[in-house]
Amino acid sequence: MRNRLSTLWDGRGFDIILIGVPLAFLILISGAAILYNVIMSFQEVDMFSLGSIIRPFAGLENYKRILSDPQTWPIFGNTLIFVLGSIIGQFVLGFGLALFFQQKFPGSTYIRGLFLVSWVMPGLVAGAIWNWLLSGDFGVINYILIQLGVIDTQIFWRSNPDFALWSVIIANIWLGTSFNMILLSVGLSAIPQDLYEAAALDGAGPLRRFFTITLPMMRATIGALLSLGLIFTLQQFDLFASITNGGPNNASNVAQYWAWQLSFNEFDFAGGATVSVLMIVIVVVAAAFYVRSTRGEVRG
Amino acid sequence: MKYLSALVCASAIATITLSAPAFAAPVTINLWAVDRPDQPAPQLVDDFNASQDEIHVEYRQIQFADLMSDVMRAYAVGKAPDIYAVDVPFNAMLASKGALLDLTDMAETSDVIHVDDYYAGPIASATWDGELYGIPKATNTIALFYNEDMFKAAGIDTPPATWDELLEDARKLNDPSKEVYGLAFSAQASEQGTFQFLPWVQMAGGSWDKVNGPGGVEALTFWKQILDEGLASPDTISRSQWNSMSTFITGNAAMAISGPWELDRLSKEADFNWKLALLPVEKEGGPRSSAIGDYNWVVFKSTKHPEEAFKVLEYMASQDKDMYQRFGQLPAEKDIEIPSTGDAEMDQALKVFQEQLQYAQPRGPSAEWPKVSKAIQNALQAALTGDATPQEALDQAQSQIDKLVN
Repeated sequence: MRNRLSTLWDGRGFDIILIGVPLAFLILISGAAILYNVIMSFQEVDMFSLGSIIRPFAGLENYKRILSDPQTWPIFGNTLIFVLGSIIGQFVLGFGLALFFQQKFPGSTYIRGLFLVSWVMPGLVAGAIWNWLLSGDFGVINYILIQLGVIDTQIFWRSNPDFALWSVIIANIWLGTSFNMILLSVGLSAIPQDLYEAAALDGAGPLRRFFTITLPMMRATIGALLSLGLIFTLQQFDLFASITNGGPNNASNVAQYWAWQLSFNEFDFAGGATVSVLMIVIVVVAAAFYVRSTRGEVRG
Repeated sequence: MKYLSALVCASAIATITLSAPAFAAPVTINLWAVDRPDQPAPQLVDDFNASQDEIHVEYRQIQFADLMSDVMRAYAVGKAPDIYAVDVPFNAMLASKGALLDLTDMAETSDVIHVDDYYAGPIASATWDGELYGIPKATNTIALFYNEDMFKAAGIDTPPATWDELLEDARKLNDPSKEVYGLAFSAQASEQGTFQFLPWVQMAGGSWDKVNGPGGVEALTFWKQILDEGLASPDTISRSQWNSMSTFITGNAAMAISGPWELDRLSKEADFNWKLALLPVEKEGGPRSSAIGDYNWVVFKSTKHPEEAFKVLEYMASQDKDMYQRFGQLPAEKDIEIPSTGDAEMDQALKVFQEQLQYAQPRGPSAEWPKVSKAIQNALQAALTGDATPQEALDQAQSQIDKLVN
């Protein structure tokens, strides 16, 4: 008995405590909310039964209703475009900047730090600013594009169904690029310099060094970053609320914003919960990829 | 001596009984509203608390975006406030679910609140199933602001009185080279879009529960024409009323449709002469209509002190006479005389708003208002972006509304 107790501070018991405390915390804080959400998606909920857990069972009714709603597939399609567009944009720009600042030039670290301003900015503030920038009649972006001769007439970014989703994607790329840059910079500086020197001695050019050394060594970082990117973009809400409200005519609506609209504009809490559960499934898949890629990190 | 002691005794007892309420703790009434510190609710609460010591009102300010959800969460766990200022279209929804106290009898016997004194629209918004579930807090509506200087420059003497005239004037005033649009309004996919759209439907003979008839289609076709001809900014479909009004104030729109909440800002910021006109009617002699906004005071059924809560409402209503001077908001009683503010433009606007209020109609009342409104917003957006014809879009909305209402 005494032996077993002592493992609590050295040995197996200690390990279990280390795992158990955060796990209990997770289950208590996130798990309960997710579970509640799942339960709600199988119930009939209106705002007056919001406070009780025991409510009429609806079976798969909510899922049938949501999946047969003509809005559903366009909105999930938008979500896919938003996630892919944002992640690719953030990643390519972030990687470009990370490689650029990897070239040691005077002030490079300070300038790189300045890029974090966009990451520190609250989404709603960034959204309000982009809302003005993208305004059709008086927006700065239209002014610049017209002065540069890229376009002849104003683009109504927020009101034209062809551009509305892209205007949020542009704002989101701006918001997330610096985070990508910082994580990728960390990954880049972890690659031993002598690898490059050896490769250079063997006659490998910059492109070849990038594809045979940089990319493979960065695999774990990139995998983690892309999975985090997926989670962050699926969480993105503020920009929709402050730039387009999901409009016009749902052209820029995405699943996460729709779930909120269902719950808190139309008070269809069951519908909102159902959309959230569908999203949880997607995030769980992403999380699995994330776990796999961080496992690679330990080995590398 | 015997008499004397009896007298002393009696007076002692009388003193104790009479002064007992002074020693008793005051009843606490919780009151939630969206008003900021300089707006009516918190100011009147302070005045009321200072005026007597039997009832103490606790004020809590809620953010507009959380107005309904905060209260519902509180109601769900049995912690609803006693009094709450509900956004008018949601009054019926709360009443229909049995959450609100029926105020009909208390209002009938009240010396302060007389239902007949109020404009018909605000009272209709507070009525459900023939019973009264709210007392109008203040009221507002929309009308047509116009830039007098631009009108003069374009040789137009009177504001447009019909839809055709509105279109004609907007075409004359529209000047893309100077970045001036003829008209500014909001067709946003939010309650604001519904608020601005329904008056046009009603003027053309439709109603909120019959939107796909000729009236609704004509109204939406008219809106679409304004946008298609470029007489209003394409951003009309994504911009709030406040942001649309900003373009009028900066001189980028010759006319704008909005409400009295803009008066303060206009008188401070607009550096041109402006005036207010009633919303143009569909055809000469056609029916007038307008929207009803602002809040109603409601009492939750869960309150432990219904009578005290009603006393608070009576006090609030008794202060409506100063509502405009103190807070720039329109009282919902039609018989209140509002003295001049000393600003000719404001006074003119106020008269027009008071006239417009007589034609104002509530949204609903409907227990399913949020979903009805959402169906109308979807129709607006689908038609104005060209995804559907006005008829198709409104047919779609009507089929949803029919499911909700019947």
